[in-house]
Amino acid sequence: MEGLAPIDGWALLAILAKAIGYAAALIAMGGPLFLAVFRSAPPDVRRIARKLAVIAALIGLAVLALRFGIRAARISGMGLSGATDTMMLGFVWDSPLGTAALWRGAGELLIVAVLIEGTIGMTASLLGALLIAMSYAFVGHSLGDPRWILAGLLVTHLLAAAFWVGSLAPLHRAAAKGENAALLHRFGTIASGTVAILVIVGVSFAWLMIGSPTGLFGTAYGWTLIIKIAVVTGLLGLAARNKLRLVPALASGAPSASARLRRSIRMEIIIVALILLATATLTSITTPPVNL
Amino acid sequence: MKSITLALVATLATATAALAHSKAEDTTPANEATVETVEVIELRFDDPMRVTAISLIGPDGEMEITRETGLDPVTEFRAIPLEAMPAGAYSVDWRGLSADGHPMQGAFAFTVSD
Repeated sequence: MEGLAPIDGWALLAILAKAIGYAAALIAMGGPLFLAVFRSAPPDVRRIARKLAVIAALIGLAVLALRFGIRAARISGMGLSGATDTMMLGFVWDSPLGTAALWRGAGELLIVAVLIEGTIGMTASLLGALLIAMSYAFVGHSLGDPRWILAGLLVTHLLAAAFWVGSLAPLHRAAAKGENAALLHRFGTIASGTVAILVIVGVSFAWLMIGSPTGLFGTAYGWTLIIKIAVVTGLLGLAARNKLRLVPALASGAPSASARLRRSIRMEIIIVALILLATATLTSITTPPVNL
Repeated sequence: MKSITLALVATLATATAALAHSKAEDTTPANEATVETVEVIELRFDDPMRVTAISLIGPDGEMEITRETGLDPVTEFRAIPLEAMPAGAYSVDWRGLSADGHPMQGAFAFTVSD
């Protein structure tokens, strides 16, 4: 297939590390966003959002270091010994990944401030979320033209995705109690807006990368994108069912509503993992048709 | 879910490998060409590429080459074979880092005739 890079064990490892890095970044960014939007959420729900954001930020830092090693190993052609080769690591540091790592690392450290109660902690962690989102505009396909439009689309896409992904675990906790139905309803209302932004922005970015219907069906990038869109559609269906059926059922005190809603949110988490895997594949080993 | 993931990986792994993140580069000798002598091995890229590793494999295994181009990003990479190249099948494998930070790799093959 056109536009597919050679794939070896290191490339697969790189995709896996990237997908874990995406998950860590989105959960770390999403925590402060959730806390900023749901200021009056119950303390146990807010605690989960805080705790997960910090754990995700720390995992994100570790994955960042790991990805440097994986990349050094790949470009050295020496396998494992290349992962610690200082010259190869230096090249990776000099590449756009080095710049991105500075912004992402700083952002992930700022996320830890979410543990501080009050305005300072909130502001610092939100700034951290913004830095992480911006770090992704320094690498990869968003470096193409039109540069600023692509960067803007990507940052918006990531912040919208982070709000959703970072909210899943706190919402899973909230769904355990019927009295939280109002919070879940409010999430559904806000998410209808942010998801629309997420989809519109994602489609715009994809259109700029692909440029023609043949690019969609004739290339590895196009097919990986089709897989991603198919899985996203499944996620949207599940989210719509939660909003329209399960949350109202929880509000009305239906006995099985809580268990069904929580199961549905766990399913969403699994689907998100698949989407991140497809995205990591898309950005790692396939070439956007506009670059072919 | 596991089967979806496996299917995804399998589809990608079995697809014909092409070069990602670089417009079709051309080489000297050209891929699949038959030549009498090889004075230089060249790789040309549309965007600057830092070639981090390159190897020449001949009929008797890996052969020594000297990089004429350093480790800086270039659009034209040159290396000179150090030893005489007997007739047979050769391949060049290279790895590099593209301007947008993607790790790259590629290979081409040629034949030296008598």
